[in-house]
Amino acid sequence: MKLIQISSITKKIALAAFGLFLLLFLPVHLGINLCILRDDGGLWYRAASHFMGTNYIVKVFEIVLMACVAFHIIIAIIITIENFFARPVRYKVRIKSKTSLGSRYMIWTGGIIACFLVLHFINFYFVKHGLIEGKYTASIEKVDAFFQENAIKMQNGELSDEKKNALIAQYQNISEVSSDKMDKERKNLINLTKQEVKKYCGEDFTEYEPDFYTMSIELFKNKTYSIIYLLVFIALGLHLSHAIKSLAQTLGLSHKTYNPFIVFVANFYAIVIPIGFAIIPLAIMF
Amino acid sequence: MKFKLNIWRQKDAKSKGYFQRYDIDNISPDCSFLEMLDILNESLVDKFEHPVCFDNDCREGICGMCGLYINGQAHGPDSGVTTCQLHMRRFTDGQTITIEPWRAKPFPIIKDLVVDRSAFDKIIQEGGYISVTTGGVVDGNSIPISKEKADKAMDAASCIGCGACVAACKNASAMLFVSAKVSQFSLLPQGKIEAKTRVQKMVSKMNELGFGGCTNTYACQAECPKSISRENIARLNREFIIAKTTSEELF
Repeated sequence: MKLIQISSITKKIALAAFGLFLLLFLPVHLGINLCILRDDGGLWYRAASHFMGTNYIVKVFEIVLMACVAFHIIIAIIITIENFFARPVRYKVRIKSKTSLGSRYMIWTGGIIACFLVLHFINFYFVKHGLIEGKYTASIEKVDAFFQENAIKMQNGELSDEKKNALIAQYQNISEVSSDKMDKERKNLINLTKQEVKKYCGEDFTEYEPDFYTMSIELFKNKTYSIIYLLVFIALGLHLSHAIKSLAQTLGLSHKTYNPFIVFVANFYAIVIPIGFAIIPLAIMF
Repeated sequence: MKFKLNIWRQKDAKSKGYFQRYDIDNISPDCSFLEMLDILNESLVDKFEHPVCFDNDCREGICGMCGLYINGQAHGPDSGVTTCQLHMRRFTDGQTITIEPWRAKPFPIIKDLVVDRSAFDKIIQEGGYISVTTGGVVDGNSIPISKEKADKAMDAASCIGCGACVAACKNASAMLFVSAKVSQFSLLPQGKIEAKTRVQKMVSKMNELGFGGCTNTYACQAECPKSISRENIARLNREFIIAKTTSEELF
């Protein structure tokens, strides 16, 4: 059964190439995540999130990354279905040949990671795109500038009575803002719901961003979420333990001189990257 | 020694198969696996029952005819041997042994444990050869070949085409077989001339026949009676990429 009339090797090369891009992104994501552990009230983490959310080069890469995730999953599913039908009658006794755990369960560990991605998107990515409500942050400087702008309009009589009252109410609200809604340096409003954004920043204020730091801390304090997170990264470790060696094999890279380097990179990814991610919920939980 | 045998019986390609239980006794530990089946068949013939059909020929591990899937492993629990080289001392007294035919879409069952492996012949017909014009015999050593390359080509050429790689692979992939056949030529100067067309044609045929794709689990290498290395699969992939990207007819 052939779902797509392309050579099985070409499909594997495509799967490997899309996977390679995802591999390159992982250390970047880990680096940003580790900022959460810095004892600065989320200053670095929010700065990194702001950069990732606003930089145009990153935005282009984001599209490429999403395409890579989608194609990696689609090709993996196609290959699995085709391979399943290459043996229509299964053996009675399960295959006992010596193979690595990671290689045997690639589609399952991949499936676990894909399910987690959906959860991850609901928690963060959809919030960023305004599809789901989360927590928000806004620069006090920008809120102040917006307020001043409206205040000038009010002096010139350009605001309706309703807006005038709202502006006065905003002045009252922001002067009474509690300390948990401010970051350590008192430069940003944080941990705001959408209603609070309107309350403190004004109805028409749009320059607020998702407060990923608060959202992450809240999520990692939830033990069920953290345990799911840790299990997913065990699956990721297994997936990566086979992925890199398999990628090299598929691209025809096998030589006694550089094979040890491939094994080193594979082990690094399989052990260091998942442990790096797993440290975060463990540090926050305990 | 005595054994409980669970053997796949299937009258012909179209009939439905089933597992038949046989109890066998008085088997010498030094008896080979196929000799044990011979003894079973003699007892069946004595009882006017149909003997169990299985492929075999040389019975010394070089022809590639025998091939049984024994207790979850192609050619049984020993590594680097064919079914005919497997001995009953490898099993424990009273053990249940389940014997199945190679299972893969391109290897249809002919009868009982006999499968049609002509799919391999079709792959070979696509390019598993070198085209040589007839003429005078070339002097020996007129084409220098390094020892390392000659050894690797010889290792690849030791593939006997038994199909254990397909049987052991969870995807029923024939990549180890095809890679060995591609490598044995592409490593040598005589084979390089047709290397690009060979690899494309053989891979294309492999896909057309319905073999699965390789997911690099290396069960094939673990079960190969000739210990063909997975290095050959990397070489096949490399040759395929080079052929696809540098052939005059792209894609």
